[in-house]
Amino acid sequence: MTNSVFVKPGMSPKDIVSNVRRLDAIALTSTGMRDAGQSDYKNRLRIRDLSTLSQEYNEMGLFSSECHGGARWHVGIMNRRESPFEEIALLREKMPNVLLQTLVRETNLWGYRPYPKNIIEHVISRVDIDVWRCFSFLNDVRNMRTVAEVVMKRGRLFQPAIAFTQADWTTNAYFLKLVREIVDLCGGTDEIILCIKDMAGVGSPRRMHSLFDAIKQAYPDLVLQYHRHATDGLALPAILAAVQAGAGIIDVEEDSLTRFFGQAPLLSVASFLEESGMRVHLNIRAADDAVQKVRDWIRHYEWAESPFKGFDHGVVMHRMPGGAFPSSFEQAQKGGFLHLMPAILKMMSLYNQIVKYFDVTPGSQVTWVTCSGIVNHYAKERGVAGVNHVIDLLTRFIEEKKQDFDAMSPEDQDELLHLFRGAPGDFKNLIVGSYGKLPMGWPADWVYTSCFGEEGPEKIRQRREDSPLDALPDEDLKRLYQELTEKLDRTPGEEEFILYLMHPKDALDFIQFREKYGDTPLVLPTDVWKSGLQNAGSKVDFEYRGVPYSIERVSIGAEHDGIIHAVMKVNNQIRVFKIETPRARKTEIRMAKGLTDIGAPINGTVWRIGNPERGPVRAGDIVHKGEEIANLEAMKMENAIFAPYDAQITEIAVHLNQMVKQGQLLFVLEEVREKE
Amino acid sequence: MDKKIKKVLVANRSVPAVRVIQTCKDRKIPTTAVYSTPDRLAAHVFMANDAVHIGEAPPVESYLNMEKIIAAARKNGANAVHPGWGFLSENAKFAQLVQDSGLIWIGPSPEVIHKMGDKIESKNIAREAGVPTIPGIDSPKTAGEIRRWMQEEDVAFPIIIKASSGGGGKGMVRVTDDSELENALAQARSEAKKSFGNDEILVEKFIEKGRHIEVQIIADQHGNVIHLYERECTLQRRNQKIIEEAPSPSIDDVTRRSICDTAVRLMRSIGYSSAGTVEFLLDSATGKFYFLEVNTRLQVEHGITELVTGVDIVSLMLDIAQGDPLSFQQEDIRPNRWALEVRLNAEDPATFSPSFGNISRLHLNLYPGARVSQGVYEGSEIPPYYDSLVMLLMTTGPDRETAIMKMDSILCRNLRVEGVKTLAPLLLSIIRHRDFIRGDFSTRFIEEHMDELVSMFPEGDSEEDVLKIARYVAEISALGTPNWI
Repeated sequence: MTNSVFVKPGMSPKDIVSNVRRLDAIALTSTGMRDAGQSDYKNRLRIRDLSTLSQEYNEMGLFSSECHGGARWHVGIMNRRESPFEEIALLREKMPNVLLQTLVRETNLWGYRPYPKNIIEHVISRVDIDVWRCFSFLNDVRNMRTVAEVVMKRGRLFQPAIAFTQADWTTNAYFLKLVREIVDLCGGTDEIILCIKDMAGVGSPRRMHSLFDAIKQAYPDLVLQYHRHATDGLALPAILAAVQAGAGIIDVEEDSLTRFFGQAPLLSVASFLEESGMRVHLNIRAADDAVQKVRDWIRHYEWAESPFKGFDHGVVMHRMPGGAFPSSFEQAQKGGFLHLMPAILKMMSLYNQIVKYFDVTPGSQVTWVTCSGIVNHYAKERGVAGVNHVIDLLTRFIEEKKQDFDAMSPEDQDELLHLFRGAPGDFKNLIVGSYGKLPMGWPADWVYTSCFGEEGPEKIRQRREDSPLDALPDEDLKRLYQELTEKLDRTPGEEEFILYLMHPKDALDFIQFREKYGDTPLVLPTDVWKSGLQNAGSKVDFEYRGVPYSIERVSIGAEHDGIIHAVMKVNNQIRVFKIETPRARKTEIRMAKGLTDIGAPINGTVWRIGNPERGPVRAGDIVHKGEEIANLEAMKMENAIFAPYDAQITEIAVHLNQMVKQGQLLFVLEEVREKE
Repeated sequence: MDKKIKKVLVANRSVPAVRVIQTCKDRKIPTTAVYSTPDRLAAHVFMANDAVHIGEAPPVESYLNMEKIIAAARKNGANAVHPGWGFLSENAKFAQLVQDSGLIWIGPSPEVIHKMGDKIESKNIAREAGVPTIPGIDSPKTAGEIRRWMQEEDVAFPIIIKASSGGGGKGMVRVTDDSELENALAQARSEAKKSFGNDEILVEKFIEKGRHIEVQIIADQHGNVIHLYERECTLQRRNQKIIEEAPSPSIDDVTRRSICDTAVRLMRSIGYSSAGTVEFLLDSATGKFYFLEVNTRLQVEHGITELVTGVDIVSLMLDIAQGDPLSFQQEDIRPNRWALEVRLNAEDPATFSPSFGNISRLHLNLYPGARVSQGVYEGSEIPPYYDSLVMLLMTTGPDRETAIMKMDSILCRNLRVEGVKTLAPLLLSIIRHRDFIRGDFSTRFIEEHMDELVSMFPEGDSEEDVLKIARYVAEISALGTPNWI
């Protein structure tokens, strides 16, 4: 059924765009491998399970598979312990016909800070993705320049995305101005596809018809793709409206993955559009098979679903993006403030009228932390009454007084002037312009006093409107690479380095996890991955590198001194694993690190500290370059340790006749330089 | 004195002890093992008929403790002592003590051991017997004396310092630059003292691109001296051999005959009996060979000679010790195949750092044409006090190519050691290296090619990788769902 395939990896952006134009049918992007999992399963859907769909994807006739993005990447290394690079490699191999699509932030890429130009160039040019959907939470087209340049230069398809929300200030004129800037940036409409990204699922059918129609009127040749979450329950009619007004590609997900906060169900959308007289490009049999295959494994992910279930039309007010729903509610649950969620959502719907931007990463995190912080603060100080009080205050300020600060009573003014005092650093950065200029201009001056106190006016003066791309100096990639080399104590791979650039601490944890546990995350079924083997005799069978394996639980002993012995059968052979519990006593060996540390070159015994001429050396002694300062013996071979430079011995970390491990710290030296 | 061997005390541990016991078992001769405290559960202990504890871990208190060993023989009714290799095998005083105690010494006479054990004296003897030797200086006391000799005899760096009573690479230090001389001299003396109880050293010109070739001799007490052809032992690291083969790929039949006849002539001239080896250094640039030393004992690599000739050298040593004459003549020895041996040491293959610990798993699928001599079993401890040799792996075939091919199969797929690191990856890299395959190598091959050899280490080992998965399953099963998941 490869005749369903109308675009393939390797095609030029121009050919892809032209094939979409010629298709004469609505094309679909499946978000099953990225946004579906992010919006309803906290990004826990594992590539082992998702990749079971690849054969169907390969035949379905999709425009693309969205399988890559910031949170999938980050949760991948933190929680699934999968690298985005191995995911891409696996999917490339298993579905060679499918364009792989990412969602990338314009300056934050897949991490959480704005990167300088040289890092953006380094990273973007090394990730093997076909379709680059790139957005700015400020809709600041200037910020997309570097990503656009590198992607287009590589001959990959750049897909600029305009973040959409429904508000009095997000008019067609506002969006058309952005489209114009984008078309200018990308040199026309022949090599890009424009995405309208409704990340919260708030655009009403009528509004979407109007917007798509306006863009299509202005740019008839521009291919438009519509990305919309289903949170408000109106995804299907909104999609129909957008298609009728000229949207050519629609984001959907497998019906069996659908819950509440992701994309609309694939087969439903196809059938609804067809019934409404539109043609849809889809191999229905393959699509149906994919939908059925999901059912084989999705029941193993109930633990990852949001504790908040059901559509929420209130999203049109609070605008929490679909991708943030499960993680926000999970945080609320873990933090013990799930009961405050209605108030926090209400707070968000008020807050977003005071500071105007788009609730999508990193903006959505700023909104969430700021609003949940204010509500929690009031709840802690004054209980439920306090929470109701602050909501009343803001409602009065916004709805009655139309944000006229001077019209508020002096007590209300005083309270507003303290509202943002505990706001997070990212909120502060946002309103002084560290992320770039805000789409509807800066918030009112009282917000600065509220946030910074007396420094408010000074902060107002310091606001900047330039793009972070122009503001951030390049970083020293060689130094960063060296830093990772030292932390790993080996030469890192190029992909490991990119992981490290995005999430320094989490990437290290990930690399160390994989060194210890190998390909475990790619191999184990989800139940075993999450809970292990529950009973004696239970086992897990799998194939690995073309060979069958079986791991069986025989018995797990009681804990003694923080140690548990687990007896397992690995392909019928008994293995005993010694497992340390958190109560295990740690005997930590100090290893030699910097230039002043002298480590043991081998495993052995320290049989001499000092040398025969001068006798033993002690801390405080001066030693000379090339002088023997200790000698290790192992299996009757001697290994002299020489002072690498003239130095004073700061510390001797071992004692005579101690057994040491290779690399273990022996001496700390301090270099002695000749006095000038 | 009754010369019939009734029971053999094996004064050794691990691989050599096991090897000697194997032949004794074949011949239904009972054996007594000796062991130090950490070796209480070692492999050799359980192969013997009985075993005696002889002291604590340090070799001087146990495997070098002559009185205790002789007492052990008496106590358990052994009337003969086989020293294996290493430890007391080349100790003339011990050989004498054994004989003085009315026990049969399975080895050459104490006088011969003494004469040939001193490198300086043995070199003089060789010179007198018309065997070419390497320019050198005996027992220099200071670095200055060494410099003077170099000037007088026009010898340039590199040179090599050796323990006079040494062997096995201990107390050997190569010096490439004048500035290293003092430190190297001190190190060689200290190692010599520690290993052999004597810090006397000698210094020789170091022959670059030298190849190490040795001739196996077997001689009875009736003047019959026969050679069992040569072995090539050029591949060494830190002056310790790690790969040996027989025959040598680097000499032709003319040189082979010449080198073997020279060895026989030397051994006959000193009245040698039992098994022994004459070591030569072949200068591949000139094709000349020089006498290095005589090893007055069974050698680690004797097995490949057994494979190509079909004789059991240990068994012959027993016969000779009983006074039996050799039952065959030189022309009966007709090697008809190629044999290769690798030494599987418990060491980090990239750094040679020793790796002690518990052998948690030991799998070996034997293969047609393979011989294994192992000193450990699954579950054994490798203590830090002794040699790091775990096992010897040998393969044979009608030609060198086949022997290498079989060794590759064993190292690559049919051997599994867990718990300690072994040289296996390095050994595999070496036998796969084009220069090794071509037979083009010198004693410095490993140091010269180390980076390349390390880069050839096989990546990813499925069994190892599955154990990582099993460890994860075990941990989650024991500890429950981790909070990060």
